[in-house]
Amino acid sequence: MTALVLDIVTTAAILFAVASGLLIILGVLKIVNFAHGGFLTIGGYSGLVVTQLGLNAWLAYPAAVVAGIVMGAVVERFVIRPLYDRPLDAILATWGLGIIIGQLITIVFGREIQFVQTPITGATSVFGETYSLYRLFLILAAAAVAGGIAALLNATRLGLEARAVIMNEPLARGLGINSGHVRFVTFCIGAGLASLAGALITPLSSVDPNMGVPWLVNAFMLVLVSSVSLASLATAALTLGGAQVLVSTFISPVIGGLTIVVLAALLLRIRPAGFSRG
Amino acid sequence: MADLTTTPATLPRRAFSGRLVPAGSIAGLCIVAVVAGPYFLDSYTVNILVRSFLYAATALTVDILWGYAGILTFGQAAFFGIGAYAAGITFTYMDFSPQTAVLALLAGLAVSAVVACITGWISFFHGASPLYVAIVTLALPIILVQVLYSGGTFTGSSSGLVGYNTFDLSVEAWFTICGIGLVVLTTAAWFFVNSDFGRLLIAIRENEQRCTYLGINAPRVKILLMVVMAMIASVAGYAYAGYTVVVAPEIGSFVFGTELVMWVALGGRGTLIGPVLGTIAIDVISAYLSGNLPYVWKLIIGSIFVLVIVALPQGIVPVLKTGLRRLWSAATRRDAAPCVAVPALIEAPEGRRAGTGSDAPALNVADLACSYGSLKVLEGVAFKALGSELLGIIGPNGAGKTTLMRCLSDGYERTGGTVAVFGHAIARTPPQGVVGLGIGRSFQTTSLFETLTVAESLRLARYRLDGTRMLSHAPTLALPDSARRVITATGLDRQLAIECRHLSHGMKRALELAMVLALEPSVLLLDEPTAGLTKPERTLIGSILVDLVQREGLCTLIIEHDLDFVREISTRIIVLHQGKVLLDGSVAEVVGSELVRTIYAGGAHQELAP
Repeated sequence: MTALVLDIVTTAAILFAVASGLLIILGVLKIVNFAHGGFLTIGGYSGLVVTQLGLNAWLAYPAAVVAGIVMGAVVERFVIRPLYDRPLDAILATWGLGIIIGQLITIVFGREIQFVQTPITGATSVFGETYSLYRLFLILAAAAVAGGIAALLNATRLGLEARAVIMNEPLARGLGINSGHVRFVTFCIGAGLASLAGALITPLSSVDPNMGVPWLVNAFMLVLVSSVSLASLATAALTLGGAQVLVSTFISPVIGGLTIVVLAALLLRIRPAGFSRG
Repeated sequence: MADLTTTPATLPRRAFSGRLVPAGSIAGLCIVAVVAGPYFLDSYTVNILVRSFLYAATALTVDILWGYAGILTFGQAAFFGIGAYAAGITFTYMDFSPQTAVLALLAGLAVSAVVACITGWISFFHGASPLYVAIVTLALPIILVQVLYSGGTFTGSSSGLVGYNTFDLSVEAWFTICGIGLVVLTTAAWFFVNSDFGRLLIAIRENEQRCTYLGINAPRVKILLMVVMAMIASVAGYAYAGYTVVVAPEIGSFVFGTELVMWVALGGRGTLIGPVLGTIAIDVISAYLSGNLPYVWKLIIGSIFVLVIVALPQGIVPVLKTGLRRLWSAATRRDAAPCVAVPALIEAPEGRRAGTGSDAPALNVADLACSYGSLKVLEGVAFKALGSELLGIIGPNGAGKTTLMRCLSDGYERTGGTVAVFGHAIARTPPQGVVGLGIGRSFQTTSLFETLTVAESLRLARYRLDGTRMLSHAPTLALPDSARRVITATGLDRQLAIECRHLSHGMKRALELAMVLALEPSVLLLDEPTAGLTKPERTLIGSILVDLVQREGLCTLIIEHDLDFVREISTRIIVLHQGKVLLDGSVAEVVGSELVRTIYAGGAHQELAP
C-alpha cells in the first residue's frame, strides 16, 4: 500500500516536472511546443555528457538547464517568432525541430541506448517499505520546480509581465509591456525546464535519441486539462498519474500507458475547462 | 420580381464544362503515364512508386482535412494501419480467397469508420479549440500501436505479420492499378473541393462560429468528413498490405502520421496536387538516399520542413505554379483569370418558416440571467414578443444588449432562466440548433467569410434548407423574397462573384442582413444592422424591415443606438439598463419617458442641454 502511494506521488512529480515547461510556454506564447520532446532529450544527453566527462553527477542538472536555455533562445529567435500568428504552423515547425534535434543527437552520439550515472543511489525505508531514494528525490525536485516557477511569476517584474500577457496580451502591450521580450524569456525558461526534466528522468531509465517522444503526448494532455495553471497541473498530474499507476499495477502496463491520454481526452470532451475552476 | 432571374443561365454551365475539359485531359494524361510507366522505368523505381502512390493517396486525405477544412490531423496513419492490419490479419488466419479479400476490405472500412466517428465525437464539439483535434489525432496512432503490441502473436506484436498469401499480381499490375486509383481519387477530390460543399468546408475553416449561426452543424460536417477520409486511408492501407505482404506497427504509428503532414506541408496544403507530387517525390528520393545516409537525409528533410513552414507556408508547388503562371502570362501577354461561376437567383418556395400556425408567443423570455463569475451582465430579464412585432432594444453601452442577443441565439450562453421560441425551450442547444427553431441572428461586428464570394456566402445560408452539392456547383440559388429585395436594393446582385473582403462596409452590412433573411427565420435578432451606414441606406433597410414584419409576420428584435431610427420603425421598445429591463412599452411611452432621457444623458442633474 505504501509502495503504491509512493509510486503515485513520485509518478505525479515526474509528470509535473516534465509538463511544467510546456505549460508556461502555452500560457504566455499560446503555442503548443512540439519540440518539447527534443528539449527533454537534450537534457538527457546533457547528463550523458557529464557522465562521459567523469564529472560530478549533480552537474547534470545545471548543465541541462543551460543547454536548454541556449537551445530555446536560438529556436525562439529563428523559428517561433515568425510563427507567432500561426499557432497551427508553430506546432508543425516545432515538430520539425524535434526531428532535427533527434537526428543531430543520433549523428553525434549514435542511436543506441546509453546510461547515465545517478547522483543518488540506493534505497531507504519509508513506513517499513523499501523505496528508491532517487524517486523520493524527484518529489523534492518537482516541488522545487513548482516553487521556482511560482516565485518567478509572483515575485519578479518578469513574472508580473508574464501574468499580464497570459491574461490579456493586447492590453499588456498597451500598458507598455514588451510582450516580445516576455515571450522570448518565457520560451527560454520553458526550454530550460524541459531540459532539466529530461536530466531528471534519465537516471530512471536510459537515454536514446527518441527518449522525449513517449513523454510528449502525456505532457500535452496534462497541460490541456490544466488550462495554464500550476495548481491545476499538480492536481491533474496527481489524478491522472495516479490513475496510470493504478491501471498499470492492477490491469496491464500497456493499458496503463494509455490511461492519461484516454482519460484526459474524455475529460476535455465532457468538461472543456478541465481541472481548472473556471 | 421575375426580372431578378435575368442572370444568364448559360454562364454557370459554361463555367462548369470549362472546368471539366482541362481536368479530364490532365487526368487522362496521368492515366496514360501510369499505364506506360512500367515500360520506361527500372523495376526498383516501379517497386518504390507503388508504395509512393498509396502514401500519396493517404496524404491527399490529410490535405482535404487540413488544407481545406482546417483540421490538422496526425491520425490518418492510424486508419492506414487499420486497413493494412485488417488485410494482414484476415489473410494470415483465414487464408486468401476472393471472399476473404472482400471481407478484409469491409472490415477495415468498418473499423476505420467507427474509430473515426469516435475520434470526431471527441474532437469536434461546440467551442472546441482547433489545437485540440491535433492532440487527439496524435494520440490515436499511439493508442493503435499499443493495441497492436498488446495483441501478442495474434497481431505479431512489434514485428508484425509477414508472408501471408495475397493477390496474385505482378509489380507492374500493382503499379497500374494504384496509379489509376490515385489519378481517379485526385480527380474526384478536385471536383469535391471545388464544389459547393468544398466552399462549405472552407467557410468552416475560416469562421466556424458564423457557420453555426447559419444553422450549419459544423461538428457534424467535420465528423462526416473525417469518417470518409478515414475510409479512403483504410483502402490505401489495405492495398499496401496486399502489395508488400508485410504489416508492422510502423505503418500505423504517429511517426508516419507526422510524415504525412510534412509531405502535405512541403508539397503545398490546400492544393491537392502539391501533396500528391510532394509525397511521391520525397518518398522516391528517400528510398534512394536513405540507404546511404539515413540520418543525414532525415535531418535534411526536417530542416527543409521547418524552413518551408516558416518562410513558405503555402508549400513548394504553389510557389512553382505562381512562377510558371507568371512566365505564361508574360509569354502570351494574357492573364489566366479564373472563371467564377455565378448562379442564377430564383425564388425560394414559401411556407418553411418554423412556428407558423403556433399559438405560443414567438419569443418568451423568463427570468433570464447571464453572469461571468461575480459580474452580472443580465439579471431577471423577462419579456414576450409576438409575430408582427418589431421590438427595438435600446440602452446605454454596457447595458447587456449584445449579451441578450447571445443568450437568445446560443443555449450555452445564459446562466439562468428560460428562453422559448414558439413554445419550444432552447434549453442547452448550440447555435445551429437554435437556428432550426427559427431564430436568425446578425452580428454587431461584421462577421463574414473573407475569401468566399457574395453568392457563396448566400448559398451557405441556404445550406440548412436546401442542402448542397458534393461534386459540382448548383446552377441556381434560391432565396426568399426578403433576402432578394435586400440584395437588389443595395446592388449586391450585381456583385455576386465578388469576394466578401472586397466589399464596402455598407455592402457587407447588407450581405450580413441578406444572409440572415436567407435562413427564413421566424424570429429575427439584429444587432445594430445599420451601424456605419449612410442615411439613405438606413432608411432603405428600415423600410425593408418594416415591410417584412408587416407582410410576413416576422418577430424582429433590433438593437439600435439611433433613437430616431428606432422610433420610426419599432412597434414597441424595451429599455435595458445595467442588465435589467427598465421599461417595456409603446414607442410613445418610452420616448416620452423622463427616465430614458436621464439614462441617456447620464443623470438628471447634468441635464442642462435645451
